Amino acid sequence: MNRLTHWGAAMVAGLALSASLMGCGGTDEGAKTIHVARNIGGREGFRRHFEAWKAQFEKANPGWKMALIDLGNAEGEQYYKSRIATGDLPEVIMTWQLTNFLADGGHLVPLPDAFYEKVGLPLPPPYKGKRYTSQGGMQIQGIVVNKRMWADAGVTQPPTTWDDFVAALKKVKAKGYAPLVYGGREWSAGQPLFYAIATNLYDVEPDPSKPSWTKRMDAGQVRFASSPVARRILERMIELVDNCVVKGALSDGYNEEQRDFYSGKGATWMMGCWLGGDIEPNKVDFEMEYWPIPSMTGRPPKFIMTSSTQNGWAITTSAKGEKLVKARAALDAFYDPHVYQLFLNGESQFKEARKVPIDGPKSAWPPAQKLYDNMAANMAKYGTTVGFHIALEDMPPPAFIMTLARVMQEILSGNRDLDQLLRMMDDDWASARKGM
Amino acid sequence: MTSVSEAGVQSGRRRASRAAAGETFASLVLCGPAVVLYVAFIVLPAILGFAYSLTDWTGWTRSPTYVGLANFRELLGDTRLLAAVKFTLFETLLLVLFLTFGAMALAVLLDRLRRLKGLIRALFFYPYILSVLVSALLFQYMANYREGAVNTILRSVGLGAAAQDWMGDPGLVPYFIFALVVWSGLGFFSTLYLAALQTVPNELYEAAAIDGAGPLSVFARIQFPMLIPTLTTNSVLALITGVNLFSQIVVTTQGGPGYRTFTVGYYIYWLGVLNNRQGYASAVSFVTFAALVGVAAVQVALLRRKAVQL
Repeated sequence: MNRLTHWGAAMVAGLALSASLMGCGGTDEGAKTIHVARNIGGREGFRRHFEAWKAQFEKANPGWKMALIDLGNAEGEQYYKSRIATGDLPEVIMTWQLTNFLADGGHLVPLPDAFYEKVGLPLPPPYKGKRYTSQGGMQIQGIVVNKRMWADAGVTQPPTTWDDFVAALKKVKAKGYAPLVYGGREWSAGQPLFYAIATNLYDVEPDPSKPSWTKRMDAGQVRFASSPVARRILERMIELVDNCVVKGALSDGYNEEQRDFYSGKGATWMMGCWLGGDIEPNKVDFEMEYWPIPSMTGRPPKFIMTSSTQNGWAITTSAKGEKLVKARAALDAFYDPHVYQLFLNGESQFKEARKVPIDGPKSAWPPAQKLYDNMAANMAKYGTTVGFHIALEDMPPPAFIMTLARVMQEILSGNRDLDQLLRMMDDDWASARKGM
Repeated sequence: MTSVSEAGVQSGRRRASRAAAGETFASLVLCGPAVVLYVAFIVLPAILGFAYSLTDWTGWTRSPTYVGLANFRELLGDTRLLAAVKFTLFETLLLVLFLTFGAMALAVLLDRLRRLKGLIRALFFYPYILSVLVSALLFQYMANYREGAVNTILRSVGLGAAAQDWMGDPGLVPYFIFALVVWSGLGFFSTLYLAALQTVPNELYEAAAIDGAGPLSVFARIQFPMLIPTLTTNSVLALITGVNLFSQIVVTTQGGPGYRTFTVGYYIYWLGVLNNRQGYASAVSFVTFAALVGVAAVQVALLRRKAVQL
């Protein structure tokens, strides 16, 4: 009986162990599949682009498949870290602001210059002597306005100075419109502060012989807390919040901002050009214009171009042998004219690959097409600055972007202690830099 | 006769030895997987965590650099950690007080119910069976300034002026977090008291009734003394709940507005995951762990003394 009990116990434990080991095991999803990871979530335009990309890749590479790992609305940081730990990063990934972390960890395969030349992509600044990412399109950031509301307030041209901008917002408010759609809960809270820092603390045209604010910060030569321009920027942010932001903004995030703007509840939205990709799916039926960012320091207004650094598609070291060849073929398929057109449409970006025979984002929905046309015209008229997106080795630490949102949250919740707010920026910069 | 009895003894010893070996084998087989998993997922990460606290590991590389005690030195002047500790202690104090004494009051009231006893108790216990994620998302929805249930109700009864940004106002957000945790946990803490109240002998209540004791007197002289062991347990559980505040913060405020609701747990996550400072985050974790071990040791000592007294 005893022996029976022991054997029974052994069998139960053995089964439990087997079950737990089976649970830990991986599954082979097919040796002839290229996995591509990015955040698509509910963006229909992104998904349409991916389906076309997959079809083109599979047509050009018979017997091979492309599979999407959709990260929803999340960026890849935590997913990539866990995949690095388990040793199975997807073969092709969107790097966002993580390129340097991935490259430093030895997880990316450098791309040859010939790859960029083949499709006419401008060479991005190298990172530690190498280039890793296949750029998508030209992404700019500026201010989208509801043309009718602003015209009603008597403003038909982009304000050139920040003071003019705030004065104009007050006029819009006086006409009974919510001047600005703004939510303080998420990353988008940091947009106005990001715009102000990028266009006022950084040179319009980076001069290689003159160290940027980033370089000087890292060298300990400057601090937000001791910079009159940084102090003025925060004063202007407080003015913006006090005059143009409604109570309860801390409850809202990006989705609420988008919903308010597209439903005509607000006149202005400080958001990147990708917003254009959502106009047709949401059937937004009013006319919009995309305006440059007004200056606080007497400079001409500019759009910020954020796609200037290595931030795009990269091949990971998971791709070896034949898979590496096919991962490169996947990047080639991205620049097929039909696929590239859908990419520009879905993400509302402008053409960067000069040799691909298409023009820019297209839409059959007139308000969206008018906005694309206006974006292109104003980009040509006012020009762009890279702001602090100078090079991967010359950028604020990526985590600092969230600091901007947190500082704006502090302002929204009534903090008017400029010294404390500026110190927060200095402390966070220093802490985040230690994580690089 | 002697040899027969010796053989019997030896045979008995062999049987006993075989039985002991069998039991050892069974113990190893039964406990082995659990021990392996415990070591793999609890003990080893804890040891590795301490090892990482001596490095500048970012989480992206496989070869962190040894930095000695630099992380621990940085920790001494970390004002944000200090703020997180203060916020955590404030929440913990509120939670310990309410989940210990508030839950006791609720349990005593529930115990006196004559009708719908089971249903009402179940309603109080129900939030506890929801996952933290669901509870937090529910509260996040209710607290939304424009469309949340709380402000909508206030506006609908003409109290629109009382509508607040419950998660955004720095003066209110600590109580928002507190309310969320209490809503989730109150039923559980009360249930522990209710279970203890069921062990009070009826004779004591009957004697009290004969003596003309009122409800307050019954509570003070009969129920409260009988609830003291549960009170001690609940205070420890409430302390753990407060110190471990993390999921609720991640889902609702993400430490905001600004840095106002950073708990120690969230700060460690912010450092390690969002700032890629796994080494420093490990140092903060290790020091927090050491501090909690100290607190636990004091509590255990107090518990033992209390047990002896009772």
